[in-house]
Parts: sequence; structure tokens; C-alpha cells
Amino acid sequence: MAARLNPLTSLTAAAAVLVITTAASSWAVSLTVAVGAVLLSAAAGIVRRVVLAAAAVVVPFWLSLLVIHGLFFPEGRTVLTSWGPARVTAEGLTYALEMGLRTAAFVLVLMVFSFSVRIPELVAALAARRVPPQVGYVLASTLLLAPLVAARLEKVRQAQESRGLVVGRGIGSRVAAIRLQMVPLVLGLVHDAGIRAQSLDARGFRSTGPRTSYTEVRDSAGQAAFRVFAILLAVAAVVWRIAESLPAGSLSAFPQFVGGA
Amino acid sequence: MSQQSLTLPPTDRKAVRRRRLLELLGAAAIAATFIFLVLTQPADIAGGLGSVSSLVALGGFLLGALLLIVGVLPTLPTSTVVLIPVALVLNIVLGQLMGTSGLPFYLDSIGTVLIAVLAGPAAGAATGALSSIVWSFFNPTVLPFAAGAALIGFLAGVAARYGLFRRFYLAPIAGFVTGIIAGVVSAPIAAFVFGGTSGAGTGAIVSAFRAMGDTLLAAITKQALISDPMDKAIVFAIAAMLVYALPRRTTFQFPFVRRFRVLAGKEPAARNS
Repeated sequence: MAARLNPLTSLTAAAAVLVITTAASSWAVSLTVAVGAVLLSAAAGIVRRVVLAAAAVVVPFWLSLLVIHGLFFPEGRTVLTSWGPARVTAEGLTYALEMGLRTAAFVLVLMVFSFSVRIPELVAALAARRVPPQVGYVLASTLLLAPLVAARLEKVRQAQESRGLVVGRGIGSRVAAIRLQMVPLVLGLVHDAGIRAQSLDARGFRSTGPRTSYTEVRDSAGQAAFRVFAILLAVAAVVWRIAESLPAGSLSAFPQFVGGA
Repeated sequence: MSQQSLTLPPTDRKAVRRRRLLELLGAAAIAATFIFLVLTQPADIAGGLGSVSSLVALGGFLLGALLLIVGVLPTLPTSTVVLIPVALVLNIVLGQLMGTSGLPFYLDSIGTVLIAVLAGPAAGAATGALSSIVWSFFNPTVLPFAAGAALIGFLAGVAARYGLFRRFYLAPIAGFVTGIIAGVVSAPIAAFVFGGTSGAGTGAIVSAFRAMGDTLLAAITKQALISDPMDKAIVFAIAAMLVYALPRRTTFQFPFVRRFRVLAGKEPAARNS
């Protein structure tokens, strides 16, 4: 489903949803968005990957939030239990919950985008928008390069081990082992990059003239209209939030906060 | 500052001026966002999540980072552009490794500093910002830190420009100072967008300061002042070691290295490799 969309459309949609979620900052909206993102990924058939990858990011994050705000929240009034310096307060737990849900929504929405988008299409769409070609190159090249670098690191390790590298217990030996692997890795990568630069330059990478693309990116008037609508909606949410906060906003709320604390 | 290719026509003046304007706008957006956040911060944490601050932090820093990227990238020589993906992969691989280790260090900017030393402050800033954006494809929580990463790249480039990478012992000192500045700038993002979390190890330090009654931003700034300078000192030292290990033929390919004699002292390389 997502594959048929123009990548810019899904990017705009993801960004608009994120802005609106942040502007709303209510646990109900965040929860709705998070559940919606999971359902969307299920519809696109990528739910397993998205949920696993998001959990790897979000779970340590939640634990850390719980430690920070669950145990210590000096602003909290309703103390549930306390031992030693740690005070579990209702306000702290609410804050941790709201922040945790908002972050989960943030992570899930971006993960759905990044797992469903086809990088070549995104690069072609960006180039069609006259974004400098270097941006697309760096984006696509990094995602292609990551597995190659991992494989290369493995090769370097094997080579060094066959030359007698033994990683001992001590920190000194471990640092020495890291150095023995990193220096050849970086050396090789930098050298390769130099060769790649020459062949790219020979093929007119820096030329500023018109370019043709092998990748045809589908777009439609409907999608263009949807993008404009999504951007307007996000802007409206931001304006609403700022207008909302102004009467009791940043400056006038300041003495109230000092008095309250 | 960019070296023109011999075979291609030089870019016209107007485009150069427009890109310079984009760079300046990007830097101004980041600076203005930071000042706004610090001036308005105390009102926020007691009354909920503080979504205006989150929006401003997210929007301002990201906009600044994007403007920097679009402004800087087309001015870089191809030899630098092809090195950026390599730097990003190094950042991500080492950063992910540290993120799971539970230590209060990140070590997620070795590649950025490497580029900054070889290609200068502008390239470093673009690499730092791009690193956050590309990394966010796997871990979206790093996306809002793009401006902080750009600042680290920029400061590393400035340090290289003024010869702090000529001696091995000066690099960690430059890293320490960079860490102080970058930590203070990144703290509002950790505070307002994510409620103070950027890893298990750093979370423990933040809660220790919170237990003493600090505000969230103060606690995170203090945590950043503990972790970041050490972290960046280590990163700068590693980057210096890697640059010294590179052959002269490779490093002198970069106009920035030649022009500012970034690596004039080759003796430390002999001593350290």
C-alpha cells in the first residue's frame, strides 16, 4: 500500500502526524497515533520488523524515564511511597507515562515510514524536487554501505586473528585490539572512497545541468493536494498550540510557577 | 573554500551566495532556538509535557540542520562527499555499540570528527547533521539531536583549522571544550522532547541530580557536563589516532589539510603507531 505512494507523500504525512501529536501532547492522542502506526504497518505487512525495531529503541527509553521521573520528581505533590531520597509521586508517574507514549508514537510513526519507503524512489523524488544530488547520494550510499562495512570489519578481525591477535581480559589489551581492527578498516574505507570519488567525477557527479532518472516516481494531483492539506493541518495544530499557551504562556506563567513551587 | 574541479565549469556567483545564505540561516535558526528554549524553560515541566518547547526544539533545530545540509553539501569536493557515508556508518556502528553497553558515553561522532579534521568545519557540520538524519531511519530518537551533532562537527573542524590536531595531546583538550559546548546545546532537546532520556547510563546520572531537587533542564545540563566532555575527549583522541594512521598521500588529497597544515606534525604519528 505504502509502496504505491510517492515517498514525499508518506514523508509529509509522517511529519504532519508527528507535529500534531507533539502539539496535542495528550496521552490519548499519542496512544491513538501509536496504535494507528502499528495497524498501518500490519496493513503493509511489515508489522514484525517495525514492532521489533521500535521495541529495541523504546523499551530502554521507558525504563530510563521510569527511573528518572518515577523515583525522583521534585515537583510532585502526591507522594505514593518513599524510601530514602526516592519519592514515587503520582505526578512523576503521569509525566513518565505521557512522555513515554509520546516518544513511542514518535518512534513508531518514523519507523513505519523508514521501513516502508523505497530508498531509490525517495532519492529520485528528492532529486526531482531539485534537492542537491549529493543529499540523495549520501542517503542511499550510507544505507547500502552499512552491511558492506560490517562484512569488512569481520574480514579485518579474521585477518588480525590469523596474525595472532588475542583479546585478553585487561582494558589495555581490549583497546589495543580495537585499534588493530579500526585502523585497517578506516584506512581501507578512506582509500576506497578516493577511488569512488574519481569515478563519480568522471561521470559528471558535480555537473549542474539537467538530469534524467531511471526511477519513475509516481505522483498524482490527489497526492499533491493531500500533501498541501497535511502541511496546513500541521501548521494549524502548531498555531493552535501557541495561541492556547499564550494567555498562560511562557512569560506570564513564570511567576505562577515560582509561586507554585 | 571549495576546490573547483578542473573539468567542470565553476558554479556561478549567485548560487554560491544563495548557499552561503542558507548556511547562515541554518546557524541562525539553531542559535535562536537555543536562546528561546533557555529563556522560556522554567515554566514547562510542572504543567505537563511542555509541548510548545518541544515543538520549538524539534522545529528550530531540525530546520537549522536541514538548511546547513542543503547549503554546505553542493560546495564540497567529491572526495569529501564520498567520505561522508563512510563517516556515517562509523558513527552508527560505534554509537549503537555504545548505546547497548550502558556506559554514560555515546562515542557516536568518531566519523563526524574524522571528516571535520580532513575537510573542515562546514563539511563536519553537514556530516553531523546528516548522521542524525540517516541514523533516524533505524533509531528515530536521534533525529532531534541533529543540531548538536552539527555543532560537534563544526567545532572539530575549527579545532583542526587552528592546528589543535597537529599534536596528539591537544586533540582531547579540544574535544573536552567541544563537549562542554555541545552538551549545553543538546540538553534542551533531551529535556523538552524526550523528558531527559538519552540512554540508560546517562539516565542514572540525571536522576541523581533530580534527587537533589534540580529542575529537569538543570539536571540534564549537569549530566551533559559530566558525560559529554569526557566522551568528546575520547572521540577526538580516537579520530586523531585514525588520521595519523592514514598515509600522507590520502590525507593530503584534502585541500583543507593542505591549506591549513592540519597535520603538520608527523612525529606524533610515528610515536603512536
